[in-house]
Amino acid sequence: MTLGAFATSESLTMGVELELQLVSLSDFDLVPASPDMLELLARAPFPGNVTPEITQSMIEINSSVHTGFDALLAQLREIRDTLLAAGRRLNVGVCGGGTHPFQQWSERRIFSKPRFHEVSQLYGYLAKQFTVFGQHVHIGCRSGDEAMYLLHALNRYVPHFIALSGSSPFLQGADTSFQSARLNSVFAFPLSGRAPFLLSWNAFAEDYFERMAGTGIVRSMKDFYWDLRPKPEYGTIELRVCDTPLSVERAAALACYLQALCSYLLAGNEPAPREDDYLVYNYNRFQACRFGLDGTLVHPQRHEPAVLRDDILATLRRLEPHFAALGSGAALEQLRRDIHMGSDADYLRQAFREGGSREAIVDAALGRFSQDQSAWA
Amino acid sequence: MNELISAAAQLAWPLALVVSWMAGELAHRWTGIPRISMYGLAGFLAGNLALKVQGPIDHSPYLLLASLAFGLILFELGYRINLRWLRANPWILATSLLESGITFLAVWLAAHWFGAPPISCGLLGALAMATSPAGLLRVLNEEGAGGQVSERAMHLAALNCVAAVFVFNLIVAVKVFQTSGDLLHAAGTTLLVLAASGVLGALAGTLVPLWLKSLGGKNATLTFALAVLLLVAVTHVLKMSPVFAALCFGLAARHRRSALGVAQRNFGALGDLLSVLLFVFAASTLTWDNVSQGLVLGLLLVLVRLLAKVCVCAVLARPSGISVRKGALSGLALAPLAVFVVLMIEQTRRLGVDFNYSLAPLTAIALVLQVVGPLITQRALIWADETHQHKEV
Repeated sequence: MTLGAFATSESLTMGVELELQLVSLSDFDLVPASPDMLELLARAPFPGNVTPEITQSMIEINSSVHTGFDALLAQLREIRDTLLAAGRRLNVGVCGGGTHPFQQWSERRIFSKPRFHEVSQLYGYLAKQFTVFGQHVHIGCRSGDEAMYLLHALNRYVPHFIALSGSSPFLQGADTSFQSARLNSVFAFPLSGRAPFLLSWNAFAEDYFERMAGTGIVRSMKDFYWDLRPKPEYGTIELRVCDTPLSVERAAALACYLQALCSYLLAGNEPAPREDDYLVYNYNRFQACRFGLDGTLVHPQRHEPAVLRDDILATLRRLEPHFAALGSGAALEQLRRDIHMGSDADYLRQAFREGGSREAIVDAALGRFSQDQSAWA
Repeated sequence: MNELISAAAQLAWPLALVVSWMAGELAHRWTGIPRISMYGLAGFLAGNLALKVQGPIDHSPYLLLASLAFGLILFELGYRINLRWLRANPWILATSLLESGITFLAVWLAAHWFGAPPISCGLLGALAMATSPAGLLRVLNEEGAGGQVSERAMHLAALNCVAAVFVFNLIVAVKVFQTSGDLLHAAGTTLLVLAASGVLGALAGTLVPLWLKSLGGKNATLTFALAVLLLVAVTHVLKMSPVFAALCFGLAARHRRSALGVAQRNFGALGDLLSVLLFVFAASTLTWDNVSQGLVLGLLLVLVRLLAKVCVCAVLARPSGISVRKGALSGLALAPLAVFVVLMIEQTRRLGVDFNYSLAPLTAIALVLQVVGPLITQRALIWADETHQHKEV
């Protein structure tokens, strides 16, 4: 089994996938509504694309290919409004957030599709516990080698995205004390973590992938649950560590952050990645999951500690010209405001304190997803 | 011999409950049929057997417990209703009004055609509008159901119960009591009674969550159960509508987002116990004499009612946002009726109203739907692919 050639994309184009929660507007629990939602959505053309996910309480949307913040955000808002309108007719609420605060995994139903049933059989409770909701960002690459370079050069910035998107503080009815509990669920899968340190596409496709396929463990790139993985069919790399943010504005800004970072890295502003960079990788990742913006990073090459918030703000300053060149200045402002406002996880915890019930957390998430951010910034 | 009979009489109820429960468990395990269908069948047999052995039985001690069980179920139904949906999708309300209206008319006409007297036609039509929340909710929970058929069946059931209580009380007020023959006056009085019941329920729905919050949300199941008990008893004594009061209690509690966790669906073991009692009790009041007398008309009305519900829900399905197939299935899921009818009969009897002609067909309807209603709902959910347990072959 071979991977096939790496399709070429226009450099630094981007696309966003969001896994969204479907909750009952009656009792705020997850509701297996995706078949009904898809049936209703199929009646009119959909802006972008919508597909079922492994459990029926989840729906995945993706944007078209974009180059700048404004167009991406406009499309995400249009998609959101279409979903919300359909949901209103079916008593189904749609919202972001990396986990549902009180769903019981044993209650979830697997969407009827052969691959999903296969996955469910293989992973048992992990598949149902995998009712978590992430944002994936694709960045277009001109070649497989460029993809592999970016994949590894980005390693030190992965915690930034975890901290900025952390929106899964509650799991199965309890406060986990994490900002992103979702990634712990992902980490339980045997093929999660990071890609092997290979910087050429041929080495990856021929040496690594073919040997893995030869063992019978994997059949396609889909079987790898890595934080960052190449997607040769699209000619992209895909960042998969983000929780689905509570608003599409933050989702769009995160995509533009990744785009600007790639632009910065491709301009050769940093020393080449080394295998030893990964010594601190899991530790930094944990810090970001557990403490979010307040976590402490260890720089992979200089080995200096830094608070994540400061490190992100410093990075944003370095990226200013790249944001400007890409026409995403508004994304930069958005990110600074997001950091100032605090994480989505903090917002959900606050909703729990004020509302006093777990349903109030979902209600807050529903409220934030349905409004344009400018309304509450 | 007399001693033996008296001992048997004392043991009759506990034995009937245990045997019914066991029958329900075994039948559910072997064939997957809803437990409550078996409770109904067993209750009917036990009730008639006891009637033969020891003569008429005094139901009243069990009526209150059964009303409590029904109240808990109504509370849960109210808790799972979102009134804002009716505003966001007016087709749901339209479906409900048409569905219950056409059921009323169709059943009225069918009974009239069969030769039933006008009052009976009205009473039969009124009760046929309803869907028993007990049958529906037990099956939904047993199947772990979720999706549009489940969601719509719950909302339509809540609405058609209220409509049925209203029209039923209206007919009782006008025709049976011959109050003044003034329809408007009777409607006003009936509305007032419903409104007062609703206010009581809403009051409970506001106060109980406050109490719970001050206790840090502990023992929610017990607190709500006791509050329902009190509410049902009070509305009983005041001759108001326990059905509407309990429903409004659930609605008010829900809209205050008071936490009643998923674990407490069905009110846990307490709810299970009471529901065995409820379904066995309801079926035990149905006598074989009445059933056999009203069977033909009863079966006719069951069919007409189901047809009316399925047709309306199917016709309005597309504009309301689901496929015609799912619409028809949501109409089919509205089949259960028995417990609602039995409790309405028992409560109305306490007011001194005699049902005369309507009793026999109603009894037959209750028996048929007590056993078959849950099965139909279960089928509808399975065909809609909305059940949790997929039987792997």
